[in-house]
Amino acid sequence: MHKIVYFISIFFVFISLKSTSQIVELSKQESISVKESIIKTSKKTTSITNKFIQSKHLSFLDKDIVSKGNLVFKTPNLIKWEYNIPFKYSVIFKDNQLLINDDGTKSNIDLSANKAFKNLNSLIIKSVKGDMFDANKFNIAYFKEGKNYLISFTSIDKSLKSFIHKFELTFNSKTFHVSQIKMIETLEDYTVIKFLDQKINKPVSDAIFTN
Amino acid sequence: MRYLLISISLFLVISCGSLATTKDLTSKTNNETVSNPYFSDTKTDYVYKAKINTGKNNFGGLLIIKKIKEEKHRVVFTTEFGNKIFDFEFSKESFKVNYITDKLNKKLIINALKKDFHLLVSEFNKSELQFNTNNKTIYKTTLNKKDNYYFISKKTKNLTKIVMASKRKEKMTISFQNLEDHIAKKIKIKHHNFNMTIQLNYIN
Repeated sequence: MHKIVYFISIFFVFISLKSTSQIVELSKQESISVKESIIKTSKKTTSITNKFIQSKHLSFLDKDIVSKGNLVFKTPNLIKWEYNIPFKYSVIFKDNQLLINDDGTKSNIDLSANKAFKNLNSLIIKSVKGDMFDANKFNIAYFKEGKNYLISFTSIDKSLKSFIHKFELTFNSKTFHVSQIKMIETLEDYTVIKFLDQKINKPVSDAIFTN
Repeated sequence: MRYLLISISLFLVISCGSLATTKDLTSKTNNETVSNPYFSDTKTDYVYKAKINTGKNNFGGLLIIKKIKEEKHRVVFTTEFGNKIFDFEFSKESFKVNYITDKLNKKLIINALKKDFHLLVSEFNKSELQFNTNNKTIYKTTLNKKDNYYFISKKTKNLTKIVMASKRKEKMTISFQNLEDHIAKKIKIKHHNFNMTIQLNYIN
């Protein structure tokens, strides 16, 4: 009997070792080269069109809250974040304005007067493009996870830290584009946004960014 | 003339002193417990898309309610993106703020939110008085020093409305609509002393 328990525990230790060993921290040199490739790619990116699946994990819920939609980015700083399922809701960041369409109810927020929203806007654009390498705001660590790179940005900026503990961006190791954003609020609660059907530098009409 | 003045002022005193909710209704004392079944299942995640209108502004978000154990509810409001705006824990005797965003972290706002959402999730409520109409029974209860009137349909036995009031004036109405399997698919919360309406649509 003891033997069985022993083997089962060995088996589980092995399994857990195997799954954790998939994430490996990059050397300093590798980190620098990955960072350079990402910044280079981000500078060449003129548009991104994604479908996304968002899962909100709250420790006290039985199930994650899942929503789906589309995300469109166009240089220099146009973004449309659109949820279709299970509710219709979209926000457009455009010319210092936040245009909201909440299932037909439209409203505008002037970002020039609202520092918090302005910061949020620049953070969203940076996270979608992947270029968040601000050492004043984040402690940055580089990893390889399977075929992808995972870069974690732990907030050190006080105002940011109060609502997001850490961002984890996953990059496709071939294209250096962001394939997943994980926003960790506390150790228990987080939001994962997974990008699908990514289209890069395809023509995007300005008409998309109207409310 | 004097009698007329006296009767007019008497009329005014009486009409000012009575609450529209229970006006002209006969009451009787009772000792029943009136229950709100809409957030009573510990196995259900109650997730609502919220639309808040204040006359000038519109806000949106998700209202997430979970009964974590007997007489204990977690009430969390997040943006559509998933960022928490506030995270409260209610039980019969205690109230805990797990998180609230800096901008709303003021005693006045926390107290207002606490009153509204505590009433929304409070499951078992002792009634002192009961009023009757043709189609509904209205139970008077008290919570956080406010009087609350629970409207129960005589036909369906469903809770359709809660009115929070002071002695003389209605302060807030919560309406429960599209009721299916003890879930209110639509909830409307309307404040009467200031311009704010919250519409909740069940999405889970």
